[in-house]
Amino acid sequence: MSNFKEMLAAHNISRRSFLKYCSALGAMMAVPAAMTPRIAAALESDNRPPVIWLEFQSCTGDTMSMLLANRPSVGELILDHISLDYHETVMAAAGDQAEASKYATMEKYKGQYICIVEGSIPVGADGAFCTTAGKSAIDIMKHVGGNAGVIIAVGSCSSYGGLPAAYPNPTGAVGVSDLLPGKTVINLPGCPMNVDNLTGTIVHYLTFGSAPAMDRFGRPKFAYGKRIHDNCERRGHFDAGQYVENWGDSGHREGWCLYKMGCKGPASFHNCPTLRWNEGLSWPVMAGHGCVGCSEPGFFDTMMPMYGRLPNVPGFGVESSALRIGGTIVGASAAVFATHGAVTLARNWKQVREAKEETREITKETTDAEE
Amino acid sequence: MAEISGTTVEHHDPPIECAVRRYLYVWEGQIRIIHWVNFFCILILSITGYFIHNPFMSADQHPYIMGHMRHIHYITGVVFCGGVLARILALFVMSNRFASWRGIPNPFSKQDRETFWAYIKFYTFLSKDTPHVIGHNPVAVVAYIFLFGLFLFQILSGFALWAQADPNGTMYALTGWIFGILSNQWVRWWHFMIMFLIGGFVINHIYSVILFDFKTKSGEISSIFSGWKPDRRD
Repeated sequence: MSNFKEMLAAHNISRRSFLKYCSALGAMMAVPAAMTPRIAAALESDNRPPVIWLEFQSCTGDTMSMLLANRPSVGELILDHISLDYHETVMAAAGDQAEASKYATMEKYKGQYICIVEGSIPVGADGAFCTTAGKSAIDIMKHVGGNAGVIIAVGSCSSYGGLPAAYPNPTGAVGVSDLLPGKTVINLPGCPMNVDNLTGTIVHYLTFGSAPAMDRFGRPKFAYGKRIHDNCERRGHFDAGQYVENWGDSGHREGWCLYKMGCKGPASFHNCPTLRWNEGLSWPVMAGHGCVGCSEPGFFDTMMPMYGRLPNVPGFGVESSALRIGGTIVGASAAVFATHGAVTLARNWKQVREAKEETREITKETTDAEE
Repeated sequence: MAEISGTTVEHHDPPIECAVRRYLYVWEGQIRIIHWVNFFCILILSITGYFIHNPFMSADQHPYIMGHMRHIHYITGVVFCGGVLARILALFVMSNRFASWRGIPNPFSKQDRETFWAYIKFYTFLSKDTPHVIGHNPVAVVAYIFLFGLFLFQILSGFALWAQADPNGTMYALTGWIFGILSNQWVRWWHFMIMFLIGGFVINHIYSVILFDFKTKSGEISSIFSGWKPDRRD
């Protein structure tokens, strides 16, 4: 791809549409409207840093998410237009050629290129689980990530370990920031990540040369700054007290709140309700299924059971719900003190009988005296 | 036949200059107020908190029921926070020796250790002698310290979960660090579970005051309403 302007023209995208897109992107990243020309200039410039896309333990869902980006079409072009020098799934080169291209980019743009990581890094068994071109995932990540200008971890696996890190985590899977604690890692968790957030993050980096404002878990605030629950279109039903009690019941057909069906929206930060998926068509809750909390650290384990409100506690042969454990605690307390009371009464029985006897005598004396 | 009531004195008893002499003013007004504020807060927080976990009533019973339940839960939580902090403050200021930090048994004092073991022996049926102290029973003090630890966790986790509605706000800045230690969902789990631990404590607490009220005739129950306890030092 040579010139971005020519490319836009070839796709019949007017200057006006392009600037509108830049404004929309600026709004999404929560930067002032005055920044729109800077965003446009950053996108049009020809010295954009190249991208190396690494893939480890993943399902390639984030690659799919990227390849299917098409809203608006400018976003797709930006992702096309970034020099994606290495991407195992989509690049034409293979074998030594591909590796050579990667090393050439790393050499030429040392400390400048963008490293996008998909999938968790297995650190178990000395890194034997996931190797590419004879190198372990740990070595590749440290080498490529260590020399990058910025690392963007796409999807929950590369952000926090995700599904491969779920109990019992047989490969010792970790996220990128666990492996490279000193580096700037922008996490875009989600299963998969929403490509509009990736576009926004890349454009922010191209425009300002730095990572966007992030929360304590390394997620850009523009995309993960609000809870799903607080922007949910079914929130009104939550506050009103209108809940789906069973799949397919009248409440479900009415589009009521999925809280009692184990929706994790109250525990998850993501812009799904506002940005949505598949060209802004829909998102899980809109489609009638509760949020599973895929973009939170600790997903998968802490968000299970999928259709329950709170995690279950493993052990004692069966997993126990919070309510069962709590009920047992209160029941045990009642049993202990009821037993204590019964024993105390039994031990003092003689004394109690004497006291009763005495009371009777006193009463009798008083009555006699009165008579 | 000694009358327990402070004002009436039986004719055959030797006259008492001041009836109140036989009583000790143990729980001062502010301590009693804090106790009952906390009691009602725990009651309201438990009911509304359980409702938030499992909304067993729906909009049919009351429109906007979840919104109102959460509102009550939050407002009561703020009051409870004040109550707990006030009680901790009262350990150091504006309290007599029964309610202050001086009432906490000192593990380095031989006498305090003996009293403590006397209570343990009594509770575990190893001894028939019923120990008696005027203020807090030392085993109960240990339970209260643990209980206030639970209260502080409930307050912290409660404000942290509330603050999630605005992660850029002051409340999140003060409390959000808890999510670096425990994930979101486990903070919720513990916030729910500790309600049951407090419930277990309430059973213990009520049982123990009834037991000692009866065994030591020291007015344990009425003292938290009136503040007075009969002087049973001899």
